[in-house]
Amino acid sequence: MDVTRRTILKTQAAAAAATAAGISIPAEAQNIPTGEDIQLQWSKAPCRFCGTGCGVMVGVKDGRVVATHGDMQAEVNRGLNCVKGYFLSKIMYGADRLTQPLMRMKNGQYAKDGEFQPVSWDRAFDEMAAQWKRVLKEKGPESVGMFGSGQWTMWEGYAASKLMRAGFRSNNLDPNARHCMASAAVTFIRTFGMDEPMGCYDDFEHADAFVLWGSNMAEMHPILWTRVTDRRLSHPHVKIATLSTYEHRTTDLSDMSLIFKPNSDLAILNYIANYIIQNGAVNREFVEKHCNFRLANTDIGYGLRPDNVLEQRAQHANDAQVSHPASFEDYAKLMSQYTVEKASEISGVPKERLEALARIYADPQTKVMSLWTMGFNQHVRGVWANHMVYNLHLLTGKISEPGNSPFSLTGQPSACGTAREVGTFAHRLPADMQVANPEHRKHAEEIWKLPHGLLPGKVGYHAVQQDRMLKDGKLNAYWIMVNNNLQTAPNTNNETYPGYRNPANFVVVSDAYPTVTAMAADLILPAAMWVEKEGAYGNAERRTHFWHQLVNAPGEARSDLWQLMEFSKRFSTDEVWTKEILDAHPEYRGKSLFDVLFRNGNVDKFPLSEMDPTYENRESKEFGFYVQKGLFEEFAQFGAGHGHDYAPFDTYHQVRGMRWPVVNGQETRWRYREGYDPYVEKGSGVQFYGNPDKKANLIGAPYEPPAESPDAEYDMWLVTGRVLEHWHSGSMTLRVPELYKAFSGAVVFMHPDDAAKRGLRRGQEVKVVSRRGEIRSRIETRGRNRVPPGLIFVPFFDASQLINKVTLDATDPISKQTDFKKCAVKVVAVASADAGGQQ
Amino acid sequence: MNGECHISSLVVHSRPDQVQSILEGIRSVQGAEVHGGADTGKLIVTLETDTESQVVERINAIQLLDGVLAATLVFHHFEPAQERE
Repeated sequence: MDVTRRTILKTQAAAAAATAAGISIPAEAQNIPTGEDIQLQWSKAPCRFCGTGCGVMVGVKDGRVVATHGDMQAEVNRGLNCVKGYFLSKIMYGADRLTQPLMRMKNGQYAKDGEFQPVSWDRAFDEMAAQWKRVLKEKGPESVGMFGSGQWTMWEGYAASKLMRAGFRSNNLDPNARHCMASAAVTFIRTFGMDEPMGCYDDFEHADAFVLWGSNMAEMHPILWTRVTDRRLSHPHVKIATLSTYEHRTTDLSDMSLIFKPNSDLAILNYIANYIIQNGAVNREFVEKHCNFRLANTDIGYGLRPDNVLEQRAQHANDAQVSHPASFEDYAKLMSQYTVEKASEISGVPKERLEALARIYADPQTKVMSLWTMGFNQHVRGVWANHMVYNLHLLTGKISEPGNSPFSLTGQPSACGTAREVGTFAHRLPADMQVANPEHRKHAEEIWKLPHGLLPGKVGYHAVQQDRMLKDGKLNAYWIMVNNNLQTAPNTNNETYPGYRNPANFVVVSDAYPTVTAMAADLILPAAMWVEKEGAYGNAERRTHFWHQLVNAPGEARSDLWQLMEFSKRFSTDEVWTKEILDAHPEYRGKSLFDVLFRNGNVDKFPLSEMDPTYENRESKEFGFYVQKGLFEEFAQFGAGHGHDYAPFDTYHQVRGMRWPVVNGQETRWRYREGYDPYVEKGSGVQFYGNPDKKANLIGAPYEPPAESPDAEYDMWLVTGRVLEHWHSGSMTLRVPELYKAFSGAVVFMHPDDAAKRGLRRGQEVKVVSRRGEIRSRIETRGRNRVPPGLIFVPFFDASQLINKVTLDATDPISKQTDFKKCAVKVVAVASADAGGQQ
Repeated sequence: MNGECHISSLVVHSRPDQVQSILEGIRSVQGAEVHGGADTGKLIVTLETDTESQVVERINAIQLLDGVLAATLVFHHFEPAQERE
């Protein structure tokens, strides 16, 4: 490359960065195709990874994605990209991509103990349908189940929900989002009667203080972090406070960092509430007009198996979700126990820092944005923790207006869109409706044009319960899509793997790559991913964002949507619905599930001519109608007119996403506040209209200890989580050579004093051992994560070091979300352990 | 050399009081060049490297400089180095 060309390219690169940074240099300098770029076809899409929902431009050449860059027109990221998003173009092209169905076979027949052999889709679906029919006949609908994902597109989740609930009549459908943000989702409903944040990312440009509760945003949500730092740099009064159980990139970059003992965030939150009350900082008018007070049942157990002594001993393990009406005085009395001395003693955080943090919330002039992710949600008291942070915002009235925003970040690209809005949880229907509510089921039956009484009212098995029921032989036909549960579920060696290999069970995994989960299945179905299909995601700020199919999937790989719909053709209503229903509604007799679920006049309403002819759409061409549009418009009926409105389907292909509710073509940035939210009545100021009385529930709860704490033998806390370069279990990012090289194997982050005490050196091989299992890894005493004495951090992306063999399957008893952030382990050198444990 | 030339650019959010030392730090990173932004704390930096992996390595190096709040990739282009030699 000669000097002139190098200079031109650098000038162009600098101009692009300047534009993204908001420094004035002509915008058109960005993305000017140079050289061969001219032949690329560029289209918009949301990023495939986290819940931020960055917009990317995707460059296609000769049927292959060859380049991506941040989308300048996307409001979320304004041209910026994190390192994972940057390498998006490579995630589809790993050398071990699955391109044909693989079934365990012996002598030409399916066999649980056979070896994987390639089979045709017909053969795969024949066997699968035969197994499903056998199980349904022998044991009924409660013995079939599905584990989906917040990475499904919205219509994939929606089709799965219809197939499971209306087709097979089972609510044993749950997303891996259960492991990720169930505590947040459940608390939204309990507090506001409606899911998802009231605010949005625009709050980043209005807040005076950011408080991060259990979120390493600099590494996990780097693009949102740039918006926080932008605000901090351009407005010197702005402060960032980060709470964590160890120091990391975000604590380094914060103005205030509070390192607390695991689980003690509950005590800190209650202390702040107490400080607000004691110092007269309660916004009396707001609280009286807009809040109800309640007190939660306490001593609620840990979501372990019912025969566990911790459950037997707990007073309210079986009615953990119950709370009771109370007065402000009752609540204030409970909070009054949490003095600064007590909070400091429980948490280990110095009093001065706790007071400084409390002042941020109490000062009526300071607009506060609270942000949280897994540290809060993966918590045996995750629902309480979520309540406690809302309590602070409700007490002070700092909510539902620019900059005053309790904001739950999400980890998956469509945790909000697919898991929550579409309703793929075991207890949910679309638009926040509940399977246990007969009115909601009836409404769903009407929209779906299905006979009354068809939908089951019993809440299905949640994620952890599915694993337990597989192991116990009660769940026997099981389909896993877009997730790697054997790597990411807790206590996998005892509670997950045995269920997959249980001879009574037939386990199917649809994935793009041979993950550990796929390799433990009986049938592997090759999946299309990301821009290999038309899609829709919903991000953390209620933004619905569409993309077109840009390339074809390799070989015989097909989208989950195609798989779900095609599979439904193999069942007739006579095989899966009861005689009573069919007798009462004979017009449904003898029809295939495909006919009653997808050729119902709604889903098949839009002809192929309505598709954009520029783009391929394999599913629609195969089924003969615009599948995605039909599914979306049917789904949108659920929320229209009561606060969950979407724009028309075609709009979303034009814009960089819109935030619901979309009313009269306008998106809603702040809900529940007059002037911002069209659903709030004039003159009322604020209405939390998700609840019948239009008030929010402020629910008080105490500090309670974790399920397992270190003791003499298992003397360390174990915290698991992610690193910047890898996303979740690494099934995509580990296949990008540059990301793999940047962080190739998991390590045990340990305090140097703890290492010295055990005679361990940096880089030495060790075993991390709990009461449940062990892994081998290596010690790291330096680097980006600095843990306090008594605690180790191990990332979970590495399939060769399955840290979830070690973790505990304790969950929040209300949200059923696993606590991956605290259990007790010991760390021993491999050599000495092998020599009989002498040290 | 493996025959590729990679040009990329970053926005580096820096603490205003540490901009000078960050500028020095970036200049010591091989192939890095600063194109302004010191007054706003948002430094515009280009990188010239032989491989894509080096892009990731250099970003990490810059990321870890004292006072750097975030280093984010914006633009990347590569082509064969020989093409024009």
